[in-house]
Amino acid sequence: MIRRVTGAAAGMALLAGLVACGGDNGTASEATTLTYWMFQDRTPQAGEVVEKLRADFEKANNVTVKIVKIPKDDYNTKLGSAVAAGTVPDVGILDQPLVARYALDGTIKEVPAGTVDEKIYYEGALNTNKVNDKLYGLPLDHTAVALFYNKKLVPTPPKTWDELKATAAKIHQADPKIAGMVVPKGDGYGGWMWPGFLGAAGGSLVDEKSKKILFDQQPGVDALQLWVDLLPSSPRQITDSDKPFENGLAGMMISGPWDVATIKADFPDLEFSTAPLPYKTEPSGNIGGENAVVFSKGKNADLAWKWLTFLTNAQNNTTLAQALGGFPTNIEAAERDAATFGPDQAAFLEQLKVAQARPALPEWIQINDEIIAPAIESALSGKVTSQQALTEAADKTRALLKWNG
Amino acid sequence: MASPVLANKPAVTPPPGRRRRRPGFGRRDHVIGWLLIAPAVIYFVIFLLYPALAALYYSFTDWNLRTAPNWVGLANYTDLLFDDVKYPHFWKSVQVTLQYTLIAVPLTLGTALVQALLINAIRRGSNLFRLLLFLPVVTAEAAVGAIWRWLYDPQYGLVNTLIGIFGIPPQNWLNTPDLVIPALSFIAAWQCGISMIIYLAGLKGIPDSIREAAIIDGAGPVQRFWKIVVPMLRPTTFYLLVTGVIAALQVFGLVYVIFSGGGGRSVTGGPEQAGLTYVLHLYLFAFRYDAMGAACAMSFILFVFIMIITALQFKFVKQEAS
Repeated sequence: MIRRVTGAAAGMALLAGLVACGGDNGTASEATTLTYWMFQDRTPQAGEVVEKLRADFEKANNVTVKIVKIPKDDYNTKLGSAVAAGTVPDVGILDQPLVARYALDGTIKEVPAGTVDEKIYYEGALNTNKVNDKLYGLPLDHTAVALFYNKKLVPTPPKTWDELKATAAKIHQADPKIAGMVVPKGDGYGGWMWPGFLGAAGGSLVDEKSKKILFDQQPGVDALQLWVDLLPSSPRQITDSDKPFENGLAGMMISGPWDVATIKADFPDLEFSTAPLPYKTEPSGNIGGENAVVFSKGKNADLAWKWLTFLTNAQNNTTLAQALGGFPTNIEAAERDAATFGPDQAAFLEQLKVAQARPALPEWIQINDEIIAPAIESALSGKVTSQQALTEAADKTRALLKWNG
Repeated sequence: MASPVLANKPAVTPPPGRRRRRPGFGRRDHVIGWLLIAPAVIYFVIFLLYPALAALYYSFTDWNLRTAPNWVGLANYTDLLFDDVKYPHFWKSVQVTLQYTLIAVPLTLGTALVQALLINAIRRGSNLFRLLLFLPVVTAEAAVGAIWRWLYDPQYGLVNTLIGIFGIPPQNWLNTPDLVIPALSFIAAWQCGISMIIYLAGLKGIPDSIREAAIIDGAGPVQRFWKIVVPMLRPTTFYLLVTGVIAALQVFGLVYVIFSGGGGRSVTGGPEQAGLTYVLHLYLFAFRYDAMGAACAMSFILFVFIMIITALQFKFVKQEAS
């Protein structure tokens, strides 16, 4: 493996050299071709949607769009390699937390003034493309997590944290073999969901403007303590099993809209529905989804922005977002088509109205994985109290970011 | 201008039996020889030597794959070893990897030897068993990960059913920090097929005459094993030990697939980083946390460490058959 990593690193360096020698001659005479990178299609139907959008755009603009599809798990590695080698696409999808990094070192272009009217997008989704108040990309779709509940075990979904704890306890009391809820873990994924709970107690992760860490304050402690308090009624021995909610071994879980269709297809007998995340003081949610950006070293930037505005316009955004497994970021499209999403999707739409973007810091992935996630884990395992875990994590984050507050 | 001293020297005559010309150049068959090994040499230079040297260079820079690398001297090395703000889990990953090596290597060698002895002992169907025991090696790593996640499942897992027979309560194998390394080591031992084949070859190499002589001298099977088989297999064991330790220190694929279950969401190294092996940690810094320079430095720290460990093994472990 070592060899593979060093090999990859240097292979890229070598490619960079070769590409530099190649230069960009001979492109002017060819018909305009736009290269677009995206994730592998989730379903064949999604592939057809993308294909149709491409055909429409090509016809309307008399250009060729070359779409390269890459498995999601490999995407960031491939993109990083392509940047190193100078073989970037003209335009492509970029993970929300990567926008800040790519923007700050000039790998991607700022959206030129007048390209879009920012008001046509949901603010939460648009903000995931902003770094230091400048816009660097457009949101293709957005998504959030909500509460999934087993209708047999949970007659009415809990609205508040107290109700959530009571519901979980009741389920586990009635049958000790069944867990109340699949409590998220202290890993990168749990770290992504946790801000939804933090916000539900009125808190937020950081204040980027004044360079202050906020997640170790009372709302953060309360949010983490909620997860700790849920564990006795939701033993890991049950919830660490394969698909505990789907198999009826857990009354509730937290997941995204992508799971609705999968569960319906694979577990047709499971009676479940979705509800907004329970909250302490105010409804809140996290946000995920796919942004698209234009690369500085790519070509045809004007056409690239045109393609992205085409994908996110009121006419096309719903079909595209649904194909990508999320919701339209274009307000007009979302409001027009809301009725067609089905009752199970309403909860996610509620969540998106109160979504909070991740901090636009280039170090955020590392902070999420290496500092916040382990802090969550150490509180959940009972090694330290929630307050201790978060205080320590906040100190580490301050040291890493060299912040004082 | 010939110096008189040189001129007085006796003419250089090639020593008997040696050619005067340097071998390897200027002769047609040598050209063909070079041509024949050219693909391997070119491969070596482009895909191994050059990348390794490039990685060495990048290990002294702050390269993040995107911007031009800046020279930072030894900062990556000193930060990795001493700065636990930047690399909070570096030493944890070292500890995890050493634990894994200490458990997985002996377990793998032991399993391989037992399997080889069993196959060597049976007269019929040894090909079939050899195939079955080798199968885990050729199975795709993703499939291995999926299968073992099922076997270790806290609710339905066969491993828990098995230990239940002996009255041991069910365990949450892959989510209990103390059990993660033993669980991973066990998978490694299950994949011992290559070691098994090499042991089998070693066993076939033990002359029958020695075994027969021992039987005549009245040695039982246990004595024969300890006094003949183990000493005669020493070169094999040494080879497997050295290569096994090197492979274990570089373990990556197994942990990656085991802990990336559920759509690659969480490769951060299992519960409380209990499965964060050295190379997984390196991979995360290279491709997830934007620090290719530091990742290259990590790879060279590992390289030096492996060299030292291997040298120590050559010095202190008996390698000759006796």
